[in-house]
Amino acid sequence: MAELLLDANIRGWVFLPIVVITFLVGVLRHYVSLLIGGSQKKANIEQVQDSQALLRARLLRENGKYLTRSAFQMRRYYFNDEEVGYFLTQKRTAPASNPMTDPSMMMDMLKGNLTNVLPMIVIGGWINWMFSGFVTTKVPFPLTLRFKPMLQRGIELVSLDPAWVSSASWYFLNVFGLRSIYALVLGENNAADQSRQFQDQMSGAAVQMSVDPKAAFKAEWEALELYQHQSVLSNIESEMDVLEG
Amino acid sequence: MELTKNLSWSKARDILKDWRENNQRRSVEVVEIWETVLASKIHKLGDDRFVLLEQVSIAALDCNRIDVAASCIHTLIKEFPNSLRVRSLIVMKLEAQERYDEALDHLDTIIKLDESNTTARKRKICILKAKNKIPEAIKELTEYLKKFMTDQETWQELCDLYLAEGDYSKAAFCMEELFLHHPHNHLLHQRYADILYTMGGPEQLELATSHYLMAINLNAKNIRALYGLLLTSQQLQNSAKTTSNKKKEASKRVVWVSKRLKQLYQEATGNTESLNELMGSLQVS
Repeated sequence: MAELLLDANIRGWVFLPIVVITFLVGVLRHYVSLLIGGSQKKANIEQVQDSQALLRARLLRENGKYLTRSAFQMRRYYFNDEEVGYFLTQKRTAPASNPMTDPSMMMDMLKGNLTNVLPMIVIGGWINWMFSGFVTTKVPFPLTLRFKPMLQRGIELVSLDPAWVSSASWYFLNVFGLRSIYALVLGENNAADQSRQFQDQMSGAAVQMSVDPKAAFKAEWEALELYQHQSVLSNIESEMDVLEG
Repeated sequence: MELTKNLSWSKARDILKDWRENNQRRSVEVVEIWETVLASKIHKLGDDRFVLLEQVSIAALDCNRIDVAASCIHTLIKEFPNSLRVRSLIVMKLEAQERYDEALDHLDTIIKLDESNTTARKRKICILKAKNKIPEAIKELTEYLKKFMTDQETWQELCDLYLAEGDYSKAAFCMEELFLHHPHNHLLHQRYADILYTMGGPEQLELATSHYLMAINLNAKNIRALYGLLLTSQQLQNSAKTTSNKKKEASKRVVWVSKRLKQLYQEATGNTESLNELMGSLQVS
């Protein structure tokens, strides 16, 4: 295949502008989110208490084998007793499952969308429209054909070597790759980093699941009820061959 | 003084950052570095300066340098008039000056504003402890632990306070809670066994034996645990209440652990003469 030679204008008017635009948008987003995000969310004390209780019960199941039987039963009694057990007496109402009914949640979602999703769509769309169809750069190593849809978005050329990167893909590479530059410029924990936002969204689902304390309590209660306490202390001596010699 | 000689401000900043991140208190050095190097260069530090000011304030309070702390906290107040974090610094300063009632007022407002603020709650307990009101501090701690029951630091503190009060079985409960969190920390097992040994009684001694063994299993060079095991086994051996079977086991343990100790001393010093003498005098009546 003949070697492709790119016009220097592509470097000046496509390659570099995309880098600069993505970077500046990230910086802008950082400051906007500082502006409207402002206050940190305060944890509700009941939620904290519940999650800590669940954690403690889980630790009890995991490491209860190091306790004596009576110490274990005492703790299980604290959580599971029918009359005074933590998991049975603490009546928690399930939080409103519909975010629409909770205005503060609504507001948070709006803020989140405003700083994350919206610019992503707008800038992404604009870049796609403005700089579409350029081959901007080439990665310095050979790649297999499978990388074509990832690196050559917007260019449907079957014969083009997958190592070439199209303008739209270059934009995405920048969005995800500028993290350390942001950390350098804006300091740690900045809001510009979109990949972090993605991670948050991923874990967000898991957090949402465990928010309902009633169900979590029930599950933990069951697990504790079923747990068979077996102390590891009784056979530690034979394990260590103390009594052999 | 050695430390601050020819120290550039950026180097000083890095040192302090390192200590901050590794939770090293080193208050005297921090204040020294601050006064000799960093105080005049504070504007060069950018956004890092606030955390640094916090660090220096706490260090200064540790060294009873109220003047330094006051000036640092003052800068912080000007920057963040509504911050709860700065507020708890003010509280710490009041505590250092033994103005406990004012400090308590501040703490109550902080807790009212932010229910889940653990620092403020802990500071309240600190004040009780500073006033030597141990029973009250214990009560507050148990209340706190009902809400934040996985806070290991607090369990540890409660354990210490119970020990100070001589309430060993409750202290043992706290230690149990701690090694539920870290079952592989040999020091926790050793400490738990120490408490049990102090309590005495055949059951406790048996349990102490198991936990000393656990500690030795986790770290074969835990000398304190080895000595603990030796003492517990000796006590079991000499106690009238133990059955002959148990006595036999205990004496085997004594032999085993003495051998281990001798071996370790041999490796460390090359002779076991002095150890033999010490072992002889190591008897609890």
